[in-house]
Amino acid sequence: MMNKHVFRTGWKKGAMLALTLTFGLAVAGCGTDTPSKDGAQATGSAGQAGAASTDQKLVVYSAGPDGLAKKLVAGYEAQNGVKVELFQGTTGKILARMEAEKANPVADVVVLASLPSVQGLKKDGLTLPYPDAKNADKLNPDWSDKEGNYFSTSASALGIAYNTKLVKTPPTSWADLAKPEYKDQINIPDPSLSGSALDFMTGYLSANGDGGWTLFEQYKANGVAMAGANQEALDPVITGAKSMVAAAVDYMTYKAKAKGEPIDIVYPKEGTVISPRPAAILKSTQHEQNAKAFIDYLLSDEAQKLVADASLLPGRTDVKADKRANLDEIPLLKTNWEWMGEHGPDVTEKFTQMFK
Amino acid sequence: MGVSSAKQIRAWSLILALIALALLIVLPLLQIFIQSVYVDGQLQWSAPFQTLAASRFAGVLFGSIWLGICVIAGTTVLALPLAWIMSNTRLASWRWLDVVLLIPFMTPPYIGSMGWILFMQKNGYLEQLFPSLHFLTPFFFSFGGMVMIMSLHLFPFLYLLLRGALVRIGGSLEEAGAVMGGGFLYRFRRIILPLLLSAYGMGALLIFVKTIAEFGTPATFGRRIGYEVMTSEIHKYISSWPIDFGKATSMASVLLTACLLVWYVQSVINRKYTYRLVGGKGSRPSRLRVSVWTTGLSVTFILLLLIASIGIPYFSIIAASTMKLRGIGLAWDNFTLDYYKELLSWGSESMEALLNSVFLSLGASTIAVVLGTWFALVIGGSRTKLQRTVDAFSLLPNTVPGIVMVVGLILWWNSPWMPIPLYNTYGMVILTYVVLFVPYTVQYVKSAFTQVDTALFQAGQVFGGAPSYVFRRIVLPLILPGMLAGWMMTFTIASRELVGSLLILPPSVQTSATYIFAQFEQGQVSLGMAMAVISVGLTTLLLILMESLNSQRKWK
Repeated sequence: MMNKHVFRTGWKKGAMLALTLTFGLAVAGCGTDTPSKDGAQATGSAGQAGAASTDQKLVVYSAGPDGLAKKLVAGYEAQNGVKVELFQGTTGKILARMEAEKANPVADVVVLASLPSVQGLKKDGLTLPYPDAKNADKLNPDWSDKEGNYFSTSASALGIAYNTKLVKTPPTSWADLAKPEYKDQINIPDPSLSGSALDFMTGYLSANGDGGWTLFEQYKANGVAMAGANQEALDPVITGAKSMVAAAVDYMTYKAKAKGEPIDIVYPKEGTVISPRPAAILKSTQHEQNAKAFIDYLLSDEAQKLVADASLLPGRTDVKADKRANLDEIPLLKTNWEWMGEHGPDVTEKFTQMFK
Repeated sequence: MGVSSAKQIRAWSLILALIALALLIVLPLLQIFIQSVYVDGQLQWSAPFQTLAASRFAGVLFGSIWLGICVIAGTTVLALPLAWIMSNTRLASWRWLDVVLLIPFMTPPYIGSMGWILFMQKNGYLEQLFPSLHFLTPFFFSFGGMVMIMSLHLFPFLYLLLRGALVRIGGSLEEAGAVMGGGFLYRFRRIILPLLLSAYGMGALLIFVKTIAEFGTPATFGRRIGYEVMTSEIHKYISSWPIDFGKATSMASVLLTACLLVWYVQSVINRKYTYRLVGGKGSRPSRLRVSVWTTGLSVTFILLLLIASIGIPYFSIIAASTMKLRGIGLAWDNFTLDYYKELLSWGSESMEALLNSVFLSLGASTIAVVLGTWFALVIGGSRTKLQRTVDAFSLLPNTVPGIVMVVGLILWWNSPWMPIPLYNTYGMVILTYVVLFVPYTVQYVKSAFTQVDTALFQAGQVFGGAPSYVFRRIVLPLILPGMLAGWMMTFTIASRELVGSLLILPPSVQTSATYIFAQFEQGQVSLGMAMAVISVGLTTLLLILMESLNSQRKWK
């Protein structure tokens, strides 16, 4: 009996020693090739002390569109000689990452695709005001903070995107989508995944009061399907599985149309909602000067031109887009952003329940 | 060498394993639970319960569990006959099938589901090819369709475990049954089934857990048919304003409890039905007279399985990746290879993402195999409480939804007091993959190891083998197939891992999975699909290379 024990442990000992050692080395190995954060903190404190010349770093978390974010970063890097680390994701992914990093924040600047989220950040005291931002006075005042906590440097409008092969005479009002001829043919993005879809819903409700829910009830009755985030809702319309998207983000539609896909967008006559895309400096920033310079860049003529070229609405009222409908060509609902930010969670809950 | 020192070292190894598991897995998860009871900086023990008391919750939980059970049934129907065919008929010599059958598992679930959706939806590829079959669409977009998609994705996993067990059972036992006059069904019921049960229990548990923790298919297909599960609910709290980790973790802890419960049942079955199968006598594969009919039936079965699990989804994926305009559909003048050209141009972003994926998963799978083997050896026959604790801890990452585990890792490694600056580096990504996938190696090695008779080690000692010699020449060769399977699994899944990568990759770094996801988000579906084809193709090539190197060595 005793012997058996020795036999069993004998070989095990050798094996485990080897494996234990390997594990130790692996952990040590991972530990050594990781200099970046120490470096970041060191330069960060130097930057705060005013020695901007040694502070050559900036961390930006940005919601899409992908190409635009990269172009903006490249433009800023070329102008300021600062190396930007860019994390891209949806607004939700960015917020989740920020929440997970709460104890030890990494990001300096965030660009989101949802105004209520950034209002929430401001309310929680997470944003750093920058009232002296250059060109801030030229921004659309409705979409940005008066104290300079956030700046909406671009925006998208919501409309009805439709497949031009399937829909010959596009609808002209939101109510049209409840018509029996469109039964089971319409997608609407999920407001818990799409900030802009939520903006449409809260915006429509804030303009129409609780009576606004009638529209969504009619939609539900007409077989409108809630389908993922914006692109997921649009994709079946491009391939012809569905005919239309209610509350479609316009720049995505313009982009697909420019490629040659059979798709187009209309803005209903009773008005729609604009979904601003705010940028904010975080109070925890280690690179304040660079962050401020980044905001200045986003508001510059050059950056606003890039925004317009990406088929988005420029944030500055004095910059015009030539590839899309400009702000003055889009009929708007009378929306109340305060109310919209406050009621977002309730509306999401009620809407997703209704369309489940 | 005294008994006491050997005993000591074994004890130390066990404790060290516990410490490693605590640091890597348990403490990060604990951080989340702490967060779920702290609401606005105040301790509120009732917070998780309030979340769970919400009226819809029970339905969502039931939805998850029912889905898990149905997918176990679905994968069993696919994997069990396949495992039998691949260990008992002449087709067993088709070793390349093993790698091919991994392709469904290598395909990211949301891509596979999208392939099916593109094929079956209104105006989809099926309708474009055979317009008269459009009546199938409503049948497909149902709960049954979802179970089918998930089963076709997960069955390779169960198959590998079952085939391994069947091969170890070998031919002699079944032949003994046949000699004694037992018919096929009798032999199956009285010999194979009991011997298979422990491996099946393990596989079924992991299928269940993988299903209820899966996010891709519920997010793409489930949302379409309005079927809600826990992961989509958790994901909602974790990725839309306002972020609420507390609610997400409360739900995750219920999921965790459900999984631990199933795990307990499985471990009871396991202890009751584990037999020493690999003894000194050597075994040979079972080749009972297999009739021409059976062979024909087997070939048909495999063919149909390959069409359903690879043929259809990849037809869609490849078609979508070669379309100039998706709005036009299947047409020869709509065909282009531009997306592949764009992806494969050297130095491009996509190429970088691809290389990142390959190197990160190579590193992660190698470390995971070493760690996992160590844990599996420490667990041994899970006789003591401590051993069972190691077992349970090492299984944790597989029982928690990936996204929850990843948030825990971020909270832990990015704490202000963390002395190792791992967060936001490649090391962190590798560590995350290792943590997420170490259970696979543990399971595979354990499954191989518990069926080895100790008499073999004793024989080695009797003939004068030093411990290291016994390990090298007896234990290692016997557990090597398990290690290899673990390595292949880890490499396969790590190379397509999405949820964790989305949150944990350092800024400016992409992997092929996050690249695909980003393309879908940006409306570049064709580009995303092309990347899926390339990354799965590359992984398959690597695995075939490994497999052929391995079999060459075997025959020398």
